[in-house]
Amino acid sequence: MTDQPAPAVQSRTVLCIEDEHFISELYTRALTKGGYHVTVEGDGEKALAEAQTDKYDIILLDLMLPNLTGIEILRTLRDTARVPPLRAKIIITTNLEQREDVRADIESHADGYLVKAEMTPHELVNFLDTVK
Amino acid sequence: MDHLQQLRATIHQYLFGLLALENLSSVAIGWTLATYTHLDPLLVGLISLTSSLAFSLVIVIIMTRLVVQPIRALWQTILHFSPIDQGVAAPQFDGLRVGRELVESLSTQVFQLANVAEHANEESQRQNSNLANNFIAQNLPLPLFVLDSSETIKFANVAAAKYIGIAAADLIGKNIYMVLDMSFPSEDTFDTWLKSVKEKSATATGSWERVRLNVRDNHPTLMFDLAAYYNRANSEHDETMLALFDHTKQYSQDDQAVSFIALSVHELRTPLTLLRGYIEVFEEELGGKVDAELQDFMFKMKAQAEQLMAFVNNILNVARVDDDQLELRLQEEQWPSVLKSAIEALSLRAKVRGMRIECTMAGNLPSVGVDRLSIYEVVNNLVDNAIKYSGTSKVIKIDTHLTQGGLIETTVQDFGLGISGNIMPNLFTKFYRDHRNRAQIGGTGLGLYLSKAIVSAHGGQLWVRSKEGEGSTFGFTIKPYAQLTEEMKKTGDTDLVRGAHGWIKNHSLYRR
Repeated sequence: MTDQPAPAVQSRTVLCIEDEHFISELYTRALTKGGYHVTVEGDGEKALAEAQTDKYDIILLDLMLPNLTGIEILRTLRDTARVPPLRAKIIITTNLEQREDVRADIESHADGYLVKAEMTPHELVNFLDTVK
Repeated sequence: MDHLQQLRATIHQYLFGLLALENLSSVAIGWTLATYTHLDPLLVGLISLTSSLAFSLVIVIIMTRLVVQPIRALWQTILHFSPIDQGVAAPQFDGLRVGRELVESLSTQVFQLANVAEHANEESQRQNSNLANNFIAQNLPLPLFVLDSSETIKFANVAAAKYIGIAAADLIGKNIYMVLDMSFPSEDTFDTWLKSVKEKSATATGSWERVRLNVRDNHPTLMFDLAAYYNRANSEHDETMLALFDHTKQYSQDDQAVSFIALSVHELRTPLTLLRGYIEVFEEELGGKVDAELQDFMFKMKAQAEQLMAFVNNILNVARVDDDQLELRLQEEQWPSVLKSAIEALSLRAKVRGMRIECTMAGNLPSVGVDRLSIYEVVNNLVDNAIKYSGTSKVIKIDTHLTQGGLIETTVQDFGLGISGNIMPNLFTKFYRDHRNRAQIGGTGLGLYLSKAIVSAHGGQLWVRSKEGEGSTFGFTIKPYAQLTEEMKKTGDTDLVRGAHGWIKNHSLYRR
C-alpha cells in the first residue's frame, strides 16, 4: 500500500448481506475492483449485529436470509426507537418478487431496491457509485 | 277540567262582585251628591261617571294580576323542572288567590313528566356506557373494540379477546395500537384515517381490506378486513368502534397462489443472476483473448441469458395482468431514444442468429407518454417473435412514424413464415400457439397476450397484418404525451398511472 499513491477519497465500505455464496463472491469481486471495501455476511442475525456497528457506508440487503429475514433486519434498523439511526444507505438486493404494495412499503424504508437478476455485478457497482 | 271550571267560576265570581260593587258605588256617589249638594245635575252625572271609570281602572289592574298569577306559577314550574337549568326557583302556591288547585295539579303533572324523562335519559346512558353488560355486543361472534377519544380500549367483546389471544380484562385500558399492531396494504391506514376524521368530521366510517396483524411469539398470522365507525357526538368513552372480519384462511390461500409464482421466479432468477455475473467476468477477463468461435459462443450464451430474463419477466407480468396488479406509470419520453435502447438490447439476440435489425425513424415525432420498462417488453416480444418466425430470412425491419390521427405508430416486420388467416383471431389469446409449428418453434404463448395488455394500458392499439409465406407485420400505436395530459385534465386524474384494465386514480408510483 505504501508505494501506491493514497486515494483521494477513502474507499467506501459495503456490508453485503447475502446468503447465496456464489452471488456474494461475484459482488465482492466487482465491488473490490470498483474501489469498495466489502464485508460479507450470510446469516440474518449476525448481519443485523454487524450492521449496527455502523461501520458501513452502504448495506446491500437480501430479503431471503436464514435466521432473520431482510425485512425484519430493515424494520429493526429503521426503528429509531430501538436502534440509533445508521449512516449507511440501505439498498435492497433481491430476486424475490413482491406484491406491488409490499414492494412499495419496503422501498419506502430503504434507499434503493434492486432485482439482482436484472443487473450484472458491474451494473451494481455503477449504481452504487451514484448512491451518495 | 274540574280545576279549570273552578278557575272560571272564581274569576266569574270576582268579576261579578266587582262589577256590582262598581255600579253600586257610582249610583251611591251620584245619589249622595244629588241629595246633599246643590250641584248641577250634569256635573253630578259627570263626577259619578269619572269615579266609575277610575274604579274600573283599578279593577282591571287587580283582575289582570289575579288572572296572570296562575299562568306565572305554571311558567315557573315548567322552567324549574326543565332539564336545562335556568335558575328559576320553585313557585310558591300559598300566595295564589285564583286557580291554585289548577296550578297545583298541573305542576304535579309537569314534575312527573320531567321525572320520567330524566329517568329514561339516565337509563340510556347507563346502557351505553356499560357495553360490557350488553349481551349482544358481548356475544356477537365478531371481534369488536370500542375506543375512547385517546384511542384507549374501553370495550372489547369475547370474540375480540379470543381472536387476538389476550384476555378481555387485559385489553381494557390499553392503547389500541399497543394491542393491535396492524399492517395495511397501502398508505391508507387506520391511524391516518382516524387522525384526519378527528380533525375534519363529526362522523365517519372507514373500511380496509387485507389488514395483517403483526403477532408476537408463535401466534399464527391473522389477516382480516377492518371496519371502523367514528362519532364525535358519542360520549367520550365510545368515540370509535372497530369491527374485525377474519379472512386469514382465504387471504393466505391467495398469498400462496401468488407466492408459488414468486418462488418459482426467485428460483429462476438466482441462477440467472449468477450466469449473467459469470458471463460478465468472462467478457472482462477474456474479451479479445479468445478465438472467434469461443467469442461467438460467449455472445450466444449472453443472448440466451437475456432471453431467459425476458421470459421470466413475461411470466411475472402475465401474473400481474391476471391479478390486476400491473401498474404502469406513463412518463414523458422521447420515443426514438426509448426505441433505440430497446433495440440495442435485442440486437445481440438477432446477431447471434445471423440476423440484422434495420430501423427507420421519422423525424419530428412528438414526445410520448410511456412506461419505459413495460414498453421495452412490448418491443422485446415483437422482435423476439420476428426472430423466431423469420425462417431463412435474415432481416427484421422496424419503422416508427406519425399516423394521420397524430399517434406514434411502430411496426416490426419480418419476412418469414407468416400467419394463416384462420388463426389470426386467436393470436392475442393467452397460451395460444400456432399448431403447425408449435413443435419447431419455442414459446409460451404469453408474449402477444401481454403486449396487447401493455399497449392497451398505454391507450394504444396492437395490430397484425400477415400473409402466409411472406411474413408478418406487427404494429402498435402510442399516444403523444400532450394528448395524455389533455385527457388527464378532462378526467381530473393527477397521475398518469394505469392498470392493464384501465385507469388507476391517484396512485403512488411503484415501478421505477
